[in-house]
Amino acid sequence: MRRGLVRRGPLAREASGRESTGLRTGRAARTGQYLALLAYLVFLAFPFVWLISTAFKPARELGSLHPTWIPENPTLDNFRQAFDEQPLLQAAGNSLVAAVSAALIAVVIATPMAYVMARHRGRLASAATGWVVVSQAFPFVLVIIPLFLILKNLHLINTLWGLILVYVVWSLPFALWMLAGYVRAVPTELEEAAAVDGAGRVRTLVSVVAPLLAPGIVATALFAFITAWNEFFFALVLLKTPEKQTLPVVLTHFLGAEGVADLGPLAAAAFLATLPSLVLFAFIQRRITGGMTAGAVKH
Amino acid sequence: MRAALRRAATSVAVLALLLTGCSGGGDDGRDADGTIRLRFQSLAWQKESVDANKQLVKEWNAAHPDVQVEYVQGSWDSVHDQLLTSFEGGEAPDIIHDASDDLADFAYGGYLADLRPLLPERLKADIPEQSWRTTTFGEGVHGVPFLQEPRVLIANTKLLKASGARVPTPERPWSWEEFRQVTKELSGQGRYGIAWPLKEPVSVTLNLGLSGGGQLFHRDGDGKAVLRFEPGDGVVTGTIRDQVNTDDSAARSALGMGGSDALPGFFGGKYAMLPLGFSYRQQIIQQAPEGFDWTVLPMPAGADGTVQGVSPQTLSVAEESPHKEEAVAFIDFLLRPANMVRLARGDWMLPTGTEALADPSLRSAEHGWAVGAALAEGLRPAPAQSVRGYPEWKDKVATPAYQEFYSGAIDTDELSKRLVEDGNRVLARYQR
Repeated sequence: MRRGLVRRGPLAREASGRESTGLRTGRAARTGQYLALLAYLVFLAFPFVWLISTAFKPARELGSLHPTWIPENPTLDNFRQAFDEQPLLQAAGNSLVAAVSAALIAVVIATPMAYVMARHRGRLASAATGWVVVSQAFPFVLVIIPLFLILKNLHLINTLWGLILVYVVWSLPFALWMLAGYVRAVPTELEEAAAVDGAGRVRTLVSVVAPLLAPGIVATALFAFITAWNEFFFALVLLKTPEKQTLPVVLTHFLGAEGVADLGPLAAAAFLATLPSLVLFAFIQRRITGGMTAGAVKH
Repeated sequence: MRAALRRAATSVAVLALLLTGCSGGGDDGRDADGTIRLRFQSLAWQKESVDANKQLVKEWNAAHPDVQVEYVQGSWDSVHDQLLTSFEGGEAPDIIHDASDDLADFAYGGYLADLRPLLPERLKADIPEQSWRTTTFGEGVHGVPFLQEPRVLIANTKLLKASGARVPTPERPWSWEEFRQVTKELSGQGRYGIAWPLKEPVSVTLNLGLSGGGQLFHRDGDGKAVLRFEPGDGVVTGTIRDQVNTDDSAARSALGMGGSDALPGFFGGKYAMLPLGFSYRQQIIQQAPEGFDWTVLPMPAGADGTVQGVSPQTLSVAEESPHKEEAVAFIDFLLRPANMVRLARGDWMLPTGTEALADPSLRSAEHGWAVGAALAEGLRPAPAQSVRGYPEWKDKVATPAYQEFYSGAIDTDELSKRLVEDGNRVLARYQR
């Protein structure tokens, strides 16, 4: 016992002190991290919670000097008014067709292209990478008029086809960038092993690479979907007739001149417009988790 | 492998099905049976206003089977960019709803038809000369001004009565000095006599500045626009600055607000008065707490009386429209006196037409309609709205200069220097 104590003398105490200091530091760091995370969550959630609160408030509460988080007299009037005044369902249908189509087409095109970019190092791949980077630098306003003229010549103005084409082209560079990263994360040894087992190139791609890329493909599709779902300016300019308009365009119909807004119905409609993205994230989130290839190769 | 191909083929098929019905057709403005199709892009956004517009389109279409109008709702928020792209791409609507201060570039750019040879005499005579001037660019008239709103003071009746101040009328408005005194009397105990929501200070300042004899924009011998800061330009700006920085009778925190943002403070008794556009009355009716008593007062008058600048809402016809005559005929129908009243009531604004303005429903004391109607005579074209380079001057020079001036960061000399010297450099680039 005594020897034990002796053995646990100054050095041991120092070590134990270091340990407890390290523990305290670790705990403090962890607490700091959680606080920062909490602050970030509040920062992210605040506008959304406020949106929900506004959507359920009657007009009189919107003009209150002391606004409350929870509506005192919650009402569905704003939702009724929003649906009554604007063709929200039709617009949501248009948005859904445009966003789903754009996401699917973008992924179908981007997946093989990303594979080539990631696996084949050469001038073409470098040029493609350069194009991806440069294309991100063009602002909407710079391209909109030439784009409009091109689509007009193709008789694609005021069609969802035209809009989908624009969304695909617009989201393609970033989709490529994202997917190329996922492809690089797939160990080449797996492809080599498949080749050794007798699989051809196509078989290897379809049966080995594609399943491992699934999370990346889902994440990319989600990115393309949300980009298209929220996009406003192209839809505003390219779609002329009310029955073709998408949700973000219809939402602006609740805005008047000089920033005046029909706040209640606008909040109600905007809340509904955010739901598909949220639901999609909730369902697909698990599939986006990485690490599917962890442990696949022994080094 | 085959299964994978099958899956891919199915996906393509599903996609094709999804896209069924996506395509649209071209539009040469006339159907196979000869029916003319016109597109009317309206910016009406409040329910009553949208309903009034749609109903009028329906009535027109029922009476004119050979000229059918399609109602398309646009948005104030993005109308300029959207129209610019449509003009450039040759796909603009035939009939365009906008505001006169947004038309200059389109009119000078040749995108809007000159309506002088097309307008019927009735419509020309019904709308006063000062309103026509808002849509006259160079030699041409490029829009029909039809709705306008003066800025008015919305006052808390209870607080105003309690202060014992004289209640102004359109015939006997407050002077700017008297107004400053009243706001001082209304202030105290955490309350301000007024809140100036000046998120966008330039148009408010220029428009109200007319009453004090301010003009800021002048024409030199060659007809070029030139900026000069004269004593009259300092009347309104000086009053606001003094209220905020000397008297503490105007809320400093409101300077960065929009009109809607200031309403809760008004309803809560924090501000006794708010200077707002006439159409804000609708929002006040919707949001005011039960029993809240408010009244509409004219803005103060200066040396030039109760005049103020406005940029009316307008209806224009696209130059590229193949059916300009029919488009103007539709505008004429839309702006018949009875119809103009419906549109004005729907938007809580004043009609420009003299016959519509005389309608008893727009002369009633309820909700301050009579006060607004009485102010219509003093409405003038907003200064500078037809000056090329005005938007750049407004954004890059005037907005920051006025914001700093009202908050007390710079004095009148510095304000004048920046507005005039920096401003004239901007204008010169556009008038070479």
